[in-house]
Amino acid sequence: MQHLPKGTEIRGKWNGKLYRLERLLGKGSNGQVYLATSGSRATYAIKLGHEATELQGEVNILASLDHSEKDRPPFLLDVDDVILQGVKVPFYVMKFVPGIPVKDYLQQQGSHWIGVVGYRLLERLTQLHEVGWVFGDIKSDNVLVNEYGRVELVDYGGASAIGRSVRQFTEIYDRGYWSAGSRMADPAYDLFAVAMLWLHALDSKRLIQLTKTMLPQNRHPRELIKLVRSNSRLQPVENWMEKALTGQFEHSREASQQWREAVRLSQKVKVPDDRVKGWMAGLLGGAIILSTSAVIIWLLQ
Amino acid sequence: MMKQILLITDGGSNVGESPIVAAAQAYAEGITVNVAGVVDEGAIGEYGAAEIAEIARAGGGISQIVTSRQLSRTVQMMTRQTVAGTIRHAVNQELRQLFGVDNVGALAPPKRAEVVKVMEEMEETMSLSIALLIDASASMKPKLAAVEEAIRDLTLSLQARTGSSQVSVFHFPGDAQHAYCVMDAGWTSNASKIGSLFGRIRMRGTTPTGPALLQVVDFIRETCGRISKTEPMEPSTQTTRVESNGVRSDYVV
Repeated sequence: MQHLPKGTEIRGKWNGKLYRLERLLGKGSNGQVYLATSGSRATYAIKLGHEATELQGEVNILASLDHSEKDRPPFLLDVDDVILQGVKVPFYVMKFVPGIPVKDYLQQQGSHWIGVVGYRLLERLTQLHEVGWVFGDIKSDNVLVNEYGRVELVDYGGASAIGRSVRQFTEIYDRGYWSAGSRMADPAYDLFAVAMLWLHALDSKRLIQLTKTMLPQNRHPRELIKLVRSNSRLQPVENWMEKALTGQFEHSREASQQWREAVRLSQKVKVPDDRVKGWMAGLLGGAIILSTSAVIIWLLQ
Repeated sequence: MMKQILLITDGGSNVGESPIVAAAQAYAEGITVNVAGVVDEGAIGEYGAAEIAEIARAGGGISQIVTSRQLSRTVQMMTRQTVAGTIRHAVNQELRQLFGVDNVGALAPPKRAEVVKVMEEMEETMSLSIALLIDASASMKPKLAAVEEAIRDLTLSLQARTGSSQVSVFHFPGDAQHAYCVMDAGWTSNASKIGSLFGRIRMRGTTPTGPALLQVVDFIRETCGRISKTEPMEPSTQTTRVESNGVRSDYVV
């Protein structure tokens, strides 16, 4: 499918709603996502698919997620077909999620935002895991950050039910690629990808270099841990990273709490200057003893 | 059960039976043949490229020409697409007969949702046997590490499926005059069991793609029981669910 120009009108064949395309937001292997408006000023994200079955698969997942998480506004707003230049194109409509990819956000705002951003991301994943789903395709482009570290995930169409095979993943974030476990959807799969997200965001050069030079049979989490241990910006969450990369977290709630604690610990003001150093105390003591004995000797005389 | 042969090669065959005829024979026996052409430097040549495309067409599968870096991803994608495509084809046929619509996309969205749910369930649970046939002629030597990696990666993905999956690995040409291809690993579903595959291969010049293909078809016939396109899937749940939606397919008896 070609890139559709701004102003293209999309009228659904079944539900009859009218949308106006504003700009292309992203392209995937199975479709294109556009920013669109409808009627009032409301903005939406519309995904136009290449193939009905594949797109419907995503729609089904979004609908299941909406069903599992009834407390939030629904992801899926409309599902329909449109005829574009004589070709029937299936599409679905979601709310538009503003924000920038987490890697860019940390670059612009500074890596000290990683604590808040990470905590919000892990809390969101915990919710998702607790209703039986794994996000799967965690990567910078799918983790959007808004003002003050507010995180939203996009591309829920690639999510997988826990226990099934992971539907969609990106090679360098994939646990299987690094010989660190299976491609079966479990909470630890997402947590591994979250650790990879921080490595990618804060140490992308060395990570990319590693993927290019390392022989496939040598790919192993210990190589990733080496990167973590030699990166000062990841030092506060070093232990967390190691646990996530080696699948030691059983529950994401636990992972989220430990993340918070690790970050909090690094924020505590370090006060080495307030504490009196040993040799200074010794010197002071010595001086007191010396002067007291001098006074005593003087008095006795 | 669904059966596939995945041929990984870098050029044209030059000995024995035509690989196109061999692939057509495989397809006639219910085995889909996919072909990944691997080229790192230079072109694959017009003849090689055309043959690769035609083997896949004859074998009811898909083909793609890629570099060795892209091989893992391509092998995964082709396997997945073949499974999805086969199911889609069967379902569309049923839809035509039952409802007179061309394909899943022609159904109203709510109905489409139900049908696709069933199709995806089949994709995830259907048992799958994939025989990998690796061209190990001299020019393939620098690419064999990438081939091994792709096989490991595919096995890892298959292991995560709900349905049972197994792979076997062959390379050609064989050592002896009459062995066109050699088995490196029999049916297994465990990625760790596929160790170093091609360590001791003696590279030779000929490329008997056709005869090797036919030998693998024999192997599948012997080891996977009677091959038929309409073998039942796992019984129980899906069967009833499929029928409750009014959609039956070749895979559900």
